[in-house]
Amino acid sequence: MSELLETLLQDARVWQGHTHKRTTQVAEPTSYQALDNQLGGLGWPRGALSECLLDTPGIGELQLLIPLIQRFSQAGKTVFWLNPPHIPYAPALARENVSLDQMVLIHTEDKNDFLWTLENCLRSPVTGLVMAWPEELAAREVRRLQLAAEAGSNVCVLFRERRHIRQNSPAALRLELEPDDQQGLKVKVVKRRGSWPGQHCSLAMAHRAGLLQQTPACVLQGPWSGSAR
Amino acid sequence: MLWLYLHFPHLLLDHIHRSNGNSSALVIVEGSGQKVMQACPAARSLGVAVGMRLKTAISLAPDLGIIRADQQYESRVLEDQARWLYRYAAYIVLVPPDGLLAEVGSLQRLYGGLQAVWQTLEDVLHERQLTAWPGLGHTPQAARLIARNGKGECTSDKDTILRVLAAMPLLAAEFDQRTRTRLQRIGLTRLGEVFSLPPAELARRFSPDALKYIQKIQGTRPDPQSPWQPPQHFRQQADFVQDIEHSQGLLFPLQRILCELENELCWRQQDTDCLLLVLQHRQTEPTRLRIRTSGPEHRASTFLNLIGLRFEQEPLQAPVVSLYLTVKRFLDREAPGGQDLLGESQDTNEAWHTLMSRLQARLGDTALVQLTTRADHRPERAWSTTGVRRTHSGNARVTTSQVPPRPLWLLQGPHPLSEPPAAWFSGPERISGGWWDDQRVHRDYYIAQLNSGQLAWVFRDAQGGWFIHGWFG
Repeated sequence: MSELLETLLQDARVWQGHTHKRTTQVAEPTSYQALDNQLGGLGWPRGALSECLLDTPGIGELQLLIPLIQRFSQAGKTVFWLNPPHIPYAPALARENVSLDQMVLIHTEDKNDFLWTLENCLRSPVTGLVMAWPEELAAREVRRLQLAAEAGSNVCVLFRERRHIRQNSPAALRLELEPDDQQGLKVKVVKRRGSWPGQHCSLAMAHRAGLLQQTPACVLQGPWSGSAR
Repeated sequence: MLWLYLHFPHLLLDHIHRSNGNSSALVIVEGSGQKVMQACPAARSLGVAVGMRLKTAISLAPDLGIIRADQQYESRVLEDQARWLYRYAAYIVLVPPDGLLAEVGSLQRLYGGLQAVWQTLEDVLHERQLTAWPGLGHTPQAARLIARNGKGECTSDKDTILRVLAAMPLLAAEFDQRTRTRLQRIGLTRLGEVFSLPPAELARRFSPDALKYIQKIQGTRPDPQSPWQPPQHFRQQADFVQDIEHSQGLLFPLQRILCELENELCWRQQDTDCLLLVLQHRQTEPTRLRIRTSGPEHRASTFLNLIGLRFEQEPLQAPVVSLYLTVKRFLDREAPGGQDLLGESQDTNEAWHTLMSRLQARLGDTALVQLTTRADHRPERAWSTTGVRRTHSGNARVTTSQVPPRPLWLLQGPHPLSEPPAAWFSGPERISGGWWDDQRVHRDYYIAQLNSGQLAWVFRDAQGGWFIHGWFG
C-alpha cells in the first residue's frame, strides 16, 4: 500500500466499513419495539435532524411520533408543529393523552421565515420536539438546519416527499414510510448513524383508527331510507 | 417649609443632545423661526448669540442644527424632568417654561440631612447630563429668584436666604416693567431696600400685584402651590436634528429610552408586555409599531432585540423626524422564586417567553396558535385555536373508551371523495346537530382505506354526497 494511503488510514480520516464503532449519540426511543430493534436500540436522535419521507399523509406517520409527543408534552417540553399540511385535530390528540398546552402551531409565509423559525425553535431549551413540513429544501439549507439542531438537544423531524430520497442529506436518520396492506406502516431505514442502512420493518398501526387487526370490518350496510332527507 | 427650585437654563438643548449624542452646533429658535432662543456652547463659540436673528446665525455657522420649539414642546420636555424628579421628591410643582419646584423640608429626615438631598440631586443631574441651577428658599418665589440668578447655596437658614435676596440687584428680581421703573426712580437699586419699605407705603404707591409679589418673596403672604401628579403611563420622546433614514440609527436613542423604561419599571416594581413605538415623519402619516412580548418583561435588552427584529421585517417608509415610546399597560411583577410547584424553574419560563416573543415579533401575532378542544359534536367545531400562553391547566383527560376514534389530521374543509374506497372498516357514526346556531350538520361518518393506502375519515351528508374529512395520520 502506498505511503500516502497508510497515513490517511492512520489519521483515521478515512472511514472503514468493516470496523463498526458504536455511536455515542443521545436518542429517544421510538417506543415501537420492532423499529427500535432495527435502529440498534437507538431511536430518534437528539441534537440532529431526522427525516421521514412519504408520499401522502394519512398512512400512520403521526402515529409513529405519538409516543414521543406524549412523553415530551407530559414532561412539560414544547412540541412545535411547523407548517403542517392539515389541522392537527385537538380531540384526537387529547384522546391520545397528549397535553394540548404544550402544542404550538406555527404557520410561516415564506421559506426564509420557515428556516429562521425552525432554527430558533431548535436552539431553545424549552423545545422538546419540532415537526416540520418544508416545501423544497436545498441540501445547503438542510445542512444549516442540521447545525442548528446540533446546537440544541431536541428531536427534529422533517416530513418530506418521497422523491427526495435520492437527494443527499446530512440528516442523521432517514426513514422511508409506506403504507402496507394491513393498515400498517412499512418503515425502511435509508440512513442511520453508526451502522449500515437498509433495514426495514412493518409496524401495526391499525389501532390508530380503533381497528383491531383480527376483527373483520364492521360496517353496517344500508339501504338508508330515513337519512336522506 | 423649605423649597428647592431647579432652573434649567437650556433644557431643550440638553434634551436634544441626549437624543442625538453628537455635539455639533445647535440652536433652538422660537415658534415663528425668527430669533435664536438658546444656543449650545459649540454654536456660541462660532459667534451665535441668544436673541440673534436666525439669518445672522446661519451665516455665522452654515451647518447649524435648528430646532423649532413651541410652548407645547417645552412643557412636555419639562414634564419629562418632573417624572424623574418624582422618584426623589413627592411634592413637585411645574413652573413653565423651564423650572421645577420641589418641597424638600420634609425630605431631610429621609435622606439624612439637607446636604444629602442636595448631593443626591446633583448626582442625578450629572448622570442625566442636565444643566440645572438649584436654589433653596423658604418660599417658592425666594427659591426661584435665587436659582434663576445662580446664587444657590445649600442652607436652610432663613436669615442667610434673606441676605442673599437683599443683595440681589433690582433688575434680577423680575418685577414687571412699570414697577421696576418706578422703584428705580425712587432711587432703589437692591431688593433689600424694597424689603425695608413699610408694606402700607408700598401698597399706596404701587399696584396690588407688585406688593403681593414682594410679600410672597418675603413669606409674609401665603403662596399656595398645587402639586403635580405623575401620569399613569410612560412616555418618552426623542427628537432628531437631522432626519434618520436607516432603522439602525434609531436604535441608539431607543436604547436610552428603553433604559429609562427599565428604570421606571424597576422603580414601580412592575412589568409590561406591550410597547407602542411611533415614528414621526416629515410628510407622511406616522408609523405606529406595537411591540409585544409574550410575557411580562422589563429588560431594555429584550425590548431592543424585539424592536430590532421588527425593523428588519418592516423597513422605514420615510426618514424619521422624531419618535416616541409609550407604555400604558403595567403588570405587577411576580416574586422570583426557585422552582414552583410544577417543577417549572424561572429560567425555562423565561426562555419560553423569550422564544415566543421572538417568533411573534417576526411572524406576526396570528402566526402562532395553540389548540384546545371544545365541547361540540360537530367535528369542525370540536376544536379551536387560542393565542399562545403558558398554562398548566392539564386538559381534562378524555378516556379512550368514551370517544370513538378521531383522525389526527382534520382537513380544512370536507374534500369530495373521488373514488370508491378499497376497504371499509367501521361505521356509520351519525353526527347530527347544529340546529341551535344554524350551522346544521347531519352526517354519517365511516373509516375507510383508499386505494393509496391512506386511512380516511369519510362521511355521507344528508344529500348523499361523499366527502373526506380527515386522515388517520
